[in-house]
Amino acid sequence: MSELNDAHRSPLVTGDKTLGDVTRDICAPMDARPSGLWWAAFFVSFVALLVGAAAVWYQIATGIGTWGLNKTIGWGFDITNFVFWVGIGHAGTLISAVLFLFRQKWRTAVNRSAEAMTLFAVMCAGIFPLIHMGRTWLAYWMVPYPNTRGSLWVNFKSPLLWDVFAISTYLAISAVFWYVGLIPDLATIRDRSQPGWRKRITSILSLGWDGSARTWHRYETVYMLLAGLATPLVFSVHTIVSMDFATSVIPGWHTTIFPPYFVAGAIFSGLAMVITLMIIARKTMHLEDYVTMKHIERMSLLMLSMGCIVGLAYGTEFFMAAYSGNPYEQFVFKNRALGPMSWAYWTMVTCNVLVPQLLWIKKVRTTLPLVFVIVILVNVGMWFERFVIIVTSLHRDFLPSSWAHYVPTTIEIATFVGSFGLFFTCFLLFCRIAPAIAIAEVKGAAHLKKHASTTTPVEEQAA
Amino acid sequence: MVRRSTPRSIVRCVTIERPLMNNESHNKYWKSLTERDGSSPERDVIPQDGVPFGISRRRFLEAAGFTLSLATMQGCGRTPTETALPFVQQPEGVIPGRSQTYATTCAGCSAGCGLLVKVRDGRPLKMEGMPEHPLSHGGLCAIGQALPLGLYDSHRLQHPLKDGESTEWDDVDQAITQQLSEIESGGGAVRFVTSTVTSLTLQASIDTFLERFADSCHITFDAVSSSAILDAHEQTHGSRVLPRYRLDLAHVIVSFGADFLGTWISPVEFTSAWRSRRVPTAEHPEMSYHVQLEGRMSLTGSNADHRIRLSPDEYGVVLSHLYAKLSQQAGESADRDELGAAPISGEELTALAERLWEARGESVVLCDSSDVAVQILVNGINHLLDNYGKTLDIAHPSRQRQGNDSDILDLINELKAGKVTALFVAGTDLTHNLPDRDGLAEAIGKVSLVVSFSERLDDVSSLAGFVCPDHHPLESWLDAEPVNGVIGLLQPLLAPLGNTRSVVESLARWSGKDDSAYDILRAHWEQSVFPRAESEESASFVSFWDQSLHDGFVEVAPTEEPAGEFQTDAVSFMEDTPAADYCLSLYSKVGLTDSRHAHNPWLLELPDPVTKVTWDNYVCVSPAKASELDLTDGDVVRIESTGTDVVLELPALVQPGQHDRVLAIALGYGVKGTDRFADVGPQWLEARPTVDPGQLVGKNAASLIKARDGMLSYARGNVSITKTGKRHELASTQEHHSLEVPARVAPPGAEKRDAVQETSLSAFAEDPTSGTPEVHHFGDAQLWPEDHPKTGYAWGMAIDLNACTGCSACVIACQSENNVPIVGKDEVRRQREMHWIRLDRYYSGEGDDVDVSHQPMMCQHCDNAPCETVCPVLATVHSEEGLNEQAYNRCVGTRYCANNCPYKVRRFNWFEYPHDDDLQNLALNPDVTVRSRGVMEKCSMCVQRIEEGKIEAGRLGQPLADGQVQTACQQSCPAQAIVFGDMNDPESAVSKALENPRRYGVLEEFNFRPAVSYLRMVRNREVDEASDDHAHDEEGGGHV
Repeated sequence: MSELNDAHRSPLVTGDKTLGDVTRDICAPMDARPSGLWWAAFFVSFVALLVGAAAVWYQIATGIGTWGLNKTIGWGFDITNFVFWVGIGHAGTLISAVLFLFRQKWRTAVNRSAEAMTLFAVMCAGIFPLIHMGRTWLAYWMVPYPNTRGSLWVNFKSPLLWDVFAISTYLAISAVFWYVGLIPDLATIRDRSQPGWRKRITSILSLGWDGSARTWHRYETVYMLLAGLATPLVFSVHTIVSMDFATSVIPGWHTTIFPPYFVAGAIFSGLAMVITLMIIARKTMHLEDYVTMKHIERMSLLMLSMGCIVGLAYGTEFFMAAYSGNPYEQFVFKNRALGPMSWAYWTMVTCNVLVPQLLWIKKVRTTLPLVFVIVILVNVGMWFERFVIIVTSLHRDFLPSSWAHYVPTTIEIATFVGSFGLFFTCFLLFCRIAPAIAIAEVKGAAHLKKHASTTTPVEEQAA
Repeated sequence: MVRRSTPRSIVRCVTIERPLMNNESHNKYWKSLTERDGSSPERDVIPQDGVPFGISRRRFLEAAGFTLSLATMQGCGRTPTETALPFVQQPEGVIPGRSQTYATTCAGCSAGCGLLVKVRDGRPLKMEGMPEHPLSHGGLCAIGQALPLGLYDSHRLQHPLKDGESTEWDDVDQAITQQLSEIESGGGAVRFVTSTVTSLTLQASIDTFLERFADSCHITFDAVSSSAILDAHEQTHGSRVLPRYRLDLAHVIVSFGADFLGTWISPVEFTSAWRSRRVPTAEHPEMSYHVQLEGRMSLTGSNADHRIRLSPDEYGVVLSHLYAKLSQQAGESADRDELGAAPISGEELTALAERLWEARGESVVLCDSSDVAVQILVNGINHLLDNYGKTLDIAHPSRQRQGNDSDILDLINELKAGKVTALFVAGTDLTHNLPDRDGLAEAIGKVSLVVSFSERLDDVSSLAGFVCPDHHPLESWLDAEPVNGVIGLLQPLLAPLGNTRSVVESLARWSGKDDSAYDILRAHWEQSVFPRAESEESASFVSFWDQSLHDGFVEVAPTEEPAGEFQTDAVSFMEDTPAADYCLSLYSKVGLTDSRHAHNPWLLELPDPVTKVTWDNYVCVSPAKASELDLTDGDVVRIESTGTDVVLELPALVQPGQHDRVLAIALGYGVKGTDRFADVGPQWLEARPTVDPGQLVGKNAASLIKARDGMLSYARGNVSITKTGKRHELASTQEHHSLEVPARVAPPGAEKRDAVQETSLSAFAEDPTSGTPEVHHFGDAQLWPEDHPKTGYAWGMAIDLNACTGCSACVIACQSENNVPIVGKDEVRRQREMHWIRLDRYYSGEGDDVDVSHQPMMCQHCDNAPCETVCPVLATVHSEEGLNEQAYNRCVGTRYCANNCPYKVRRFNWFEYPHDDDLQNLALNPDVTVRSRGVMEKCSMCVQRIEEGKIEAGRLGQPLADGQVQTACQQSCPAQAIVFGDMNDPESAVSKALENPRRYGVLEEFNFRPAVSYLRMVRNREVDEASDDHAHDEEGGGHV
């Protein structure tokens, strides 16, 4: 790893830390009893999760009619939330795998939580296609498995089936990648723990990690390979999700620009969510020295560039509609901007294109409260992007007789809230039971004071 | 356990085993020479593994497992034990599970259409039109289609009631007979009120019954009467008759408010006749010319070639002008000076008169006015036009409306004066359908004997001392002579479900006779009908009866009505009435007519063909008036009858094409007992009741009927309208009402969509393909090879938009055939109605005068179906015969198919729709699955009928003939607008229709390749820019 440039850049870890400090700081939340703030956050999240679970239970017991959908608009909050969460799940892999391959060392401070976030976001995402089915209990029919119903197979032409493969693959790879990255840190925890259940569990999970050069070698090889495997997924998952729409015939959905547009949007929203979480985490868990302004600023810049791509895509859609000569296509886009749901469209444009432009200003992207507001708005905007694509395209399609309006029900809103509940509950638990920052990687990437004697990170762990 | 291996695998298995067997002891023993000298494989199959007791371990485990699982399954049984008894003696021709068709006559209204009823295992299931019937020609309206739900209605009375208590017939008979004999001896007025009685036998029974009493009278009251027409003919022709209108002979039809395609007198008959003159071909580009002058937007007006907005209180003036113009044409002098200004332009009037005059003897003027003077003018015009004896037959008149308003008003006075001793009410909810309900109820309270024959506890029955429930028409023996000379028979199609009794039988009992309805009917036919029979085949009464019963109707010699000469003196011009602020028009709604079907949820959920609103009645106001009063759909307004305390609060509905001064309210709503529908449809957290607490379905507007000069006036002035500020959300199935997209979001050059294509007759004459929009076609290029070769049948459908009136009979036909659930008002409001056929209704045109187009839209069974590719589990697939099939069992409910359907014809089961009413469940068609929640459904092109037809043809060893399979919608379309059949057969009707130059496919340019085609609509107009697809914009451009 080239470290030549790093001398000219601001340090990745501030606060004059030693290797031992890093371990202690990062493991501190796991050792201490949870703070009041954590309990409060957990309580709110868990209540939200329970509300969502109750809503899902009610909806499965009663019927999809408890959602605000109708004969014209067959997807609303359900698929909007699905795409939204899948999108959020993108930043994790991007930061872990792509930035790893590009040797972006600043990723070390955020990759662990980004990966965890990915995992939880994909879990949230996966729930929606499941519960959106009229007969959820038959969801396994989406899987091609040998069965006794004659030669009854799944429809390999259906993008929804591709989704099943894409999402499950992504979830599996993300989980493995996250776990593999955790192994050295699990060994650290193991070594720090008093004999007891924690030690026993981490002993098993760290797979006999002994910090030897051979272990490190194997680890780095696997990690590199997994990064290589995961990288195409960053692009493929959302490409396939976008094909749910792109391969259909509905104006506003049927467009070839969707794969890159969706991928850029996904990374955009994922980064926004990572920044949101990191700003909260560094504040609540006192990790200011590890997640520095430098990290925030770099991610902001990455987000800005993605926001510009997204903005370009919005413009391109309009150009293509005008250029296509297809009156139905033209209508859909005019209707988006000026029709009854134009408020959603303009919310989207404002949040995703206009607001992020503020990040060109260094003062803005280094002022935490401002960045926080911007990323929250981007999250909102990206949710609306999916809503606009799904609902405004459906609500007025070919035959004016079938035009309809969509209003979500309380059950739908509760389910949406519940997905946030699940996400944050998982994330808060993660912060308590695993190091939120990759200890080993930070040590490897940052120039730290080598305490007392000159030890390698490996030795440090053993200590 | 049965071995599952195939013979071939057994052989293979044996060849492996054989060396072993040969080496073992078995080679010493053999049963035959072939076995020893080279055994045949079949012989070796017998397992000979030398286990004692002849059972192997494997066999034992199989048997044990089988026994265990069987025992387990036995224990799991959830079905209750039911005993099915087979027929001890199987009725002739009845095969369990197969439907029989019986001919009878529809009694949904007094029009008397021919009915073919599919009966299966003893229950009538599906009403079909009778193609041979001389009036209905195979058509049947929504009401006729909805009869089964009326039959299987758990709210029908099961027993006679005495003072509101269930009792036995003997008690009722005893009590009534006693009272009647007191009246007979002691005197007293007996009044028998019925709705129009077309039944000869019932009429005779009533007459016989009333003969005993010194002061007795049979009064006919129609909830929406045509009394004025009959009264006018009494004055002009000396005989109180309703002419039989022959629209099939009319080349020019001018209707003043008469909704003859929707609700007026005999809509199916008129639709069929009207349609027969609406088929322009390239060789004969001719069509009848239909002008509608009306205040509200009726279904008929929506189909007119030229529609003139005219308030009902102006009919008289315009008719006077028309009469004057025509008498001038006829060379008769008419004093025109007394005529005021006409509310329509002089040119329009002249053009109208010229068109009528040109078509003398081939024209007809119709009017629904309840004003006798207006109807006399109409008669005068028809007389001037020489239409009597041609398009209007008064020698062989119609019996479909016999109501007499002055009689009923006299009765009310008698009742109020306490002069009536006994009142019998049959076939009409008297108090519900008349104004001043409370006053009338109080007056009825003075009558000592009140007997109602109502099927259910309606308003008048609740006032009656005795309720003697009549059978449902499908349980009755009866007859009907809707038009002089055409007599239909009604036969019972199942044993009465309750302890009910037909009116004829009740009357016989009270006259001391024990005859059954069948005996009475047959005796009456032998006496009165058989002598009129003309056919030579009917040598004996028995064969005549059997044949009539088989056919369901008989054509006999009409009785000549003595029609006098036309009395010109009767005609007097009507002054220009001072324009009132408002003219309130009370109308009957398509699919409901009057209150008698208000308990039928199919009809209540049927979207009105024009407004598309379900489950409510409302006040229609014109757009201009609505903006003046600041009203939008669902704003509750208060309608007050000036000078009285009659007030009605109803939601408003903005109706394009309505006259600005006209307010229109549908009758037949607010019926007692309809609060039962409060919890129809799914019940869940946010569900709102179909009927608000303490309310009924809609409100009864009969209180606003004005009784004056011996007439019940359904159009009246002296009303005021005020906005209350309250809201009542209406449930409409269509949100956007035009093919034009909102101007704000319309792409330039594509403001209007061409789902409905139309042209004018003059343009059509020049170029039969005129009206084709210029769109980019991608040709027939296929990206992939044809994967549905359709070598056998290729089912297809063609719908003639020029014939379709939008009457919505097909919607109910489909609902009945395909077990489409009722979802309730809240679900309709959420746009989740389940009807497989949607009748799209679009307005077009600028300004106040609008054109209307109706388009039935159902699954188009596309060859390149967008729904099929996206289903992840292959639940919707293409059949070898070109059908897009939905496998409910396989569907997991992703709704992706519905999203990707460009026609939005797929319907999702959002909930488990209630099927708790066991009686109502009898109306379900056993050929069609009842769908569970979470699955998608849609039009199947009645695949069950196709399969039934194919099986039957196969059984007979014949090819399936064209027309042998008819979809439910096609079968009973009164306008015969739908053609269905095999597109691979070049001679089939559908193949012929596809060659029609008017053919087009909706959204064809996207290459979905729909199997449903439409035939372009032709309006009888002269438009210069014929090929311009915006021809419709030039409203009234043709004029006359």
